[in-house]
Amino acid sequence: MDDHAVTHDQGAGESAFAFDGSWREFAPIAITNLLLTIVTLGIYRFWATTRERRYLWSRTRFIDDRFEWTGTGLELFIGFVLVLLLVFVPLFVLQFVAQGMILRGHVVAVGILFFLLYMFFFYLFGIARFRALRYRLSRSWWRGIRGGSDDQGWRYGWSFLWKTVVSYLALALMIPWSMASLWNERWNAMSFGAQPFESDARWGNLFLRYLLCWALPWVMAVGLMFAMIPVVMIAAGSGEPPGPGIMIAIFALVLAFYVLIPLAALVYYAAFMREAVGALRLGTIEFAFTARTKHWLLLFLGNFGLWLLALAVAIIPLMALGLLANFTNLQPGETPFSENSLGFVVTLVVLVIPFALVGPFIRYRTWRFGVTWLEAYGEIDADVLTQSTTRTPTQGEGLLDAFDVGAI
Amino acid sequence: MLSMWARSEVSDGVPVWHYDGVTARRRHPLLVTDAAGFRLIEDEVESGPFGWDALVAQAGAANERVYGLKSQPGWRIGFTGGVPAEIDVLLPHPERYGRLIDRFGLVRASAVLAVIAGFVVFIGVTAPGWIAPYVPSSWEKRLGDAMVGDFGGRFCKGAGGQQALDALARQLDHGGDPIEVRVANIKMVNAVALPGGKVVIFRELLSDAKSPDEVAGVLGHEIGHVRNRDVMAALLRQMGLSVLLGGFSGDVGGTFNALLSATYSREAEANADNYAISALSRAGISPAATAGFFARLARDEAKLGPARAALGYMSSHPLSESRERKFKAGVAASARYRPALDAAQWRALSDICKNDPEAEEGWFPG
Repeated sequence: MDDHAVTHDQGAGESAFAFDGSWREFAPIAITNLLLTIVTLGIYRFWATTRERRYLWSRTRFIDDRFEWTGTGLELFIGFVLVLLLVFVPLFVLQFVAQGMILRGHVVAVGILFFLLYMFFFYLFGIARFRALRYRLSRSWWRGIRGGSDDQGWRYGWSFLWKTVVSYLALALMIPWSMASLWNERWNAMSFGAQPFESDARWGNLFLRYLLCWALPWVMAVGLMFAMIPVVMIAAGSGEPPGPGIMIAIFALVLAFYVLIPLAALVYYAAFMREAVGALRLGTIEFAFTARTKHWLLLFLGNFGLWLLALAVAIIPLMALGLLANFTNLQPGETPFSENSLGFVVTLVVLVIPFALVGPFIRYRTWRFGVTWLEAYGEIDADVLTQSTTRTPTQGEGLLDAFDVGAI
Repeated sequence: MLSMWARSEVSDGVPVWHYDGVTARRRHPLLVTDAAGFRLIEDEVESGPFGWDALVAQAGAANERVYGLKSQPGWRIGFTGGVPAEIDVLLPHPERYGRLIDRFGLVRASAVLAVIAGFVVFIGVTAPGWIAPYVPSSWEKRLGDAMVGDFGGRFCKGAGGQQALDALARQLDHGGDPIEVRVANIKMVNAVALPGGKVVIFRELLSDAKSPDEVAGVLGHEIGHVRNRDVMAALLRQMGLSVLLGGFSGDVGGTFNALLSATYSREAEANADNYAISALSRAGISPAATAGFFARLARDEAKLGPARAALGYMSSHPLSESRERKFKAGVAASARYRPALDAAQWRALSDICKNDPEAEEGWFPG
């Protein structure tokens, strides 16, 4: 093989991306992370994130070499502190100002103030998403080359604000358009090495599926109205309270609402990811994401299974130790566990540990899912793929973290 | 595995893979050691010398040792077939949990951190109570003025009512900055102490009260909260919590409402009751009427049935029944009591909102 041409043979049947981690290797990382996060009252979580990513990246192969994560806990911590100082402290002060204004009767002014504030947060949220992607690319290395962007994301913040608002104003019908165009805008500003990413995802390909998902709640609401007519007639005619059959029917309908609507959203989201990743190119490399709705569904069912498992793991020892009784025999004026502070600590530990471990494993599964269904085709000339000249951001994705969407 | 490297082979050079951080080309040079450190030699091309202390251990695959160079991002060397022992001792260790924790070891670091965490939590829980008495009253007053203002015009100004209320407050309160007591035109049986020595009585408490003595008992309790600096402690506690939880909600009403339904500890509530009882007896007002007020509340609570236990457990106020007993016990058999207000004052106070049609009504929006 030529020394500098890194090729991936499509006929080989093997994906260009592969994940070869195991949950047995990951578990010690997750458990020690939890221990250190507890004893540092949460401060360690930035370092915990870094350790998780270092593992996941190092077990992810692209063609013939592994990824490497070089971000640090300190960067994430600094990002968090910056957000605390620049966003939360002013907001906290503003809350007192607004309180005073309301008590003086300036309700409209407070309304306007908070409307502007929410718009500003929307803008910040857009910037945060952009910068999180930039930060992650700048800390991801492959064959000694990293990604990044020279764009600061200010313009993207505005795009995010107005495109999202417009898409919702149009009865939420333009959401595929805003999602696709924002995806393109984000990725077109990114690069890996000296090579820019290009993306031209089209919302037209998604619209029919989206329409289905959009119409479902309306169809169901109308269906529910018609279904209620005989129920109401029977109830009115007999003058008796509704029997159990009717209650079960209503319960089934409500359940259907909670199951079918997320399912419809998933059908759309699976299509969106296929379209969006499929529209992405890096030089001569083309990407694809092949997961279908059923695969996404399995991912989420598996995650749900993890929650159930955690519940079982938490409840069984509590029952065995008889500690649940502390909650069932509450006496007036008495605090539960008032005689039994050791029991309180044990209960807390037994409850917290399994549930706190669900998060890391969901992130592990999600990463594995993403890598498994991600494909790439084409050829890279290793001599042409030269180092990125983009400025590396010095702090982590603090903003995105603050808005609680920094899953991976 | 390490022993299979003979000394002569190491001096000939150890095969490594290498990225220079400039292009993505993978190179396969020999690592040749010398006195200063090492060089990388591939065909005729040589790079270095590099010092061992310029290396940083990186996260590699399971059986791979990878090192970067501090000064050159992306520069990597990797040993795939094991590392010769004499080189191994020169290589830096990879970071595991973080620099500080690695230095002490996981177990020792966790134990020390756990002790510190326990201490921090203890301080955090108790600090508002210690700090509150040291917050200058003038600050608290300014904060209270800024927060409360004129209550959106909800204060009642019916003729003679405020004078009667001030007269009542003067009997119960001795010392410190004057306490400002107002009646708010809100349909609730309640009274609250707010920052800056402000006590607000809600309208329905007055119409519900059978005598001025009852109002005196409730007012004494709220004045107790003010004088014990419980309000400031609650405010500090709430500030600390919302910072800790990162909890911005933008819900302005939330903070204020939380303060209104103030979260004092049971101990603080008991102290405020004690303050009220001694203030009443000093002023020559009987605590018996206040006991009657709690007896009525206790009857309302009894109607709640099984929910009652949960109520007593949830609320920071002790159950009304036990408070009734406490105020009853405060009645001294030998004392000569007089009514807290005369009939005319009491009438003016009870009708303070009825006589002021201009007062805004109702709860705050949000």
